[in-house]
Amino acid sequence: MIGILLLLFLTYASQRLTAQVTYERLLNADSEPGNWLTYSGSYRSWRYSALDQVNRQNADSLKVTWVHQMPTSHRIETTPIVADGVMYVSEPPSNVFALDAATGRPYWHYKRNLPAKINVCCDAVNRGVAVLGDRVFLGTADAHLVALSAKTGAVLWDVPVADSQTGYSITGAPLIVKDMVVTGIAGGEYGIRGFLDAYDVTTGKRRWRFNTIPGPGEKGHETWGGNDAWKQGGGPTWITGSYDPELNLIIWGVGNPSPDWNADVRPGDNLYSDSAIALDADTGALKWHFQFVPHDANDWDAVQVPILVDAEWQGRPRKLIYWAHRAGFFYVLDRATGEFLLGKPFAKQTWAKGLDSKGRPERLPNSMPTEDGVYVWPGVQGATNWYSPSYNPLTGYFYLTVWENKGYYLKGEPKYTPGNRYVGSVPDIDVPEDPGFGAIRALNPKTGDKVWEYKTHTKPWSGVLTTAGHVLFGANGGWLSRGREEMEAYFFALDADNGKELWRINLGGAMAANPITYLANGRQMVAMAAGGAIFTFSLP
Amino acid sequence: MKAATVLALLFILSAGAQNTNPYTTPADRESGAKIFRSHCASCHGIRGTGGLGPDLTSGSFFHGSSDADLFRNIADGIPGTAMPGVFFEGTQVWQIVAFVRSLSGASAASSVTGDAARGQRQFRQQGCIGCHLVRGEGATKGPDLSVIGSQRSVAHLRESILDPNRNVSQDFWVAKIITRDGTAYSGFVMNQDTYTVQILDFSRGLQTLQRSEFKDFGIDRSSVMPSYRGKLNDEELNDMLSYLVSLKRQPARSE
Repeated sequence: MIGILLLLFLTYASQRLTAQVTYERLLNADSEPGNWLTYSGSYRSWRYSALDQVNRQNADSLKVTWVHQMPTSHRIETTPIVADGVMYVSEPPSNVFALDAATGRPYWHYKRNLPAKINVCCDAVNRGVAVLGDRVFLGTADAHLVALSAKTGAVLWDVPVADSQTGYSITGAPLIVKDMVVTGIAGGEYGIRGFLDAYDVTTGKRRWRFNTIPGPGEKGHETWGGNDAWKQGGGPTWITGSYDPELNLIIWGVGNPSPDWNADVRPGDNLYSDSAIALDADTGALKWHFQFVPHDANDWDAVQVPILVDAEWQGRPRKLIYWAHRAGFFYVLDRATGEFLLGKPFAKQTWAKGLDSKGRPERLPNSMPTEDGVYVWPGVQGATNWYSPSYNPLTGYFYLTVWENKGYYLKGEPKYTPGNRYVGSVPDIDVPEDPGFGAIRALNPKTGDKVWEYKTHTKPWSGVLTTAGHVLFGANGGWLSRGREEMEAYFFALDADNGKELWRINLGGAMAANPITYLANGRQMVAMAAGGAIFTFSLP
Repeated sequence: MKAATVLALLFILSAGAQNTNPYTTPADRESGAKIFRSHCASCHGIRGTGGLGPDLTSGSFFHGSSDADLFRNIADGIPGTAMPGVFFEGTQVWQIVAFVRSLSGASAASSVTGDAARGQRQFRQQGCIGCHLVRGEGATKGPDLSVIGSQRSVAHLRESILDPNRNVSQDFWVAKIITRDGTAYSGFVMNQDTYTVQILDFSRGLQTLQRSEFKDFGIDRSSVMPSYRGKLNDEELNDMLSYLVSLKRQPARSE
């Protein structure tokens, strides 16, 4: 154990001297758990750490180490990046802090001046930055991509990705692939035409764009009813995807079609909304897709983090994707081909009779919004959402945050005006007289069966992290619930084997982020955003 | 450009610069309701009762309650908050204002003809002060009424006095808790989470209780307030309403 620690420390110390986050290091991010180099911890997106200083036996002694308060009034949804002793953390709407990862003391603060009017559907949030070389990359609420010096925060380049005055924004963290920075786009409530973009890390010049809503002449365009609805078809890409270097595939989730809750203007499957897409990393060409919900009218985006696992599947080794989708089913897909292998509900759902042999849902009647309203499980925020799941190779379980609730889906007039919401009414997001509950669940990914659950009074808006110490970190409460409920704000540690609570602390502010862990001077730290601050914890 | 277009444009521009809402017809409210449903309801709720954004049904607004305030906050958004602006012409913004106003019943009869001083005496004689708090005096078995005139419409207050069970706010459902050691608690739930419940117990005041200690936890959704239908004549009711309406939010004192 001491040997491993020494090795980790020496690796860490030597890397700190070079202070260059090479692409090689990103490819092997798993092998340096002292850092947290990408949004989901590695290209496989397990949000898992090999650190085990904090474990089942001692997690109950965790204490606050430092707190960094940010001067923001927006909700903090960030995942910090930690590289060589420095934490790069985005502050909403579009600012960045570089902090000493051991003490929380700021080195620099990049502050962006935004246009007076920008429209981000659900608060101008930001989920984090990406790093490569000595550069930090940030997507902004006014839909620009910015490269900053990792040492000073100075702007190296700043390019427009799309027009923020017509509803485009960037809220997700970019992903570095080779010498490109890959960014998604948000604006599914504003009638955008979604895409995934790759930019040259040195110049900011665009390398490729994949339009998630195919235009005339492109495959999939025929699923848009033959009218002009595709031009405002939505299909945003606001959660960071994953990358398979062997297959050279970028795997990313696509969000809802627009307008969200009135599908009359867009008859057809509406590809590639609500789909997993696999793109050739060099060209952005589509290799395969899997659509979770054809012709969606419930806002069930597929903006979840794809977890990539190589495992035995029915007797032979396969490259798999584990994906718990917003509409309540857990999926296993083949990641070379997109073939559907398994689909099973992980929460109550009343919209699908089941999935056919290709994974296509058999839709039940009375599950689409109506003018008088209809109750459907899950509610509009889904059975899960954008917050990250985790895969732990030691337990073999898939972990996620779950909402057990119904929504009241209303259909209204869809009318497109540039820059304004284009949704066709909105559902009642919460049903106060029957609010349901939340849970952290562990699933057996081979079967989709629930192994354990930890129930929460309010519905959590945070993701989960698991570690080699067999500890799961998660949170309850969040920002979107009625009145007093929003006050629940506990960060907790659970036993990853059985869901037993090991430790909890009331952080007293809304939590809607994902935890990470890293080493500071050889000591394991756990970081989580709550309220207006980043909190870190370690053993005394 | 044709003269008619110029005139129309001038009209639209001037509509945006008004201090009072020029668009208040039922048709305007209906148009405003449609826009509200698509553009505002995801935060403020379909009925405007709040969610991520505040409740808009009280007729009183934190960032200003005049028509001009509402127009500005809807059109431009509120800096430093999650409230965004919209990319609409003035007419549509005024229609939203008209709809938002209708949520508080402000368009219904908002004045009463009673005598507030007599109403204040009634308030004591009828025993209201035994349950309600007014500017520090009274009890906490019902809503604090210190600034109720700034919070609720006359119609709402009338209904609450005559038919208190019709529409009981979740804030005033009564929790009845019995702990493992047999202690009984009864009061309003101030807050709750996965592990604890915060109540305003009717006899003990503010208490935080551990769920793990509960033997029984029930919620009574009916109002503890008796109806005053038949106990107050029309004149007394109007006096009482006048008194309640007079309980307005007061500006902070300057040093």
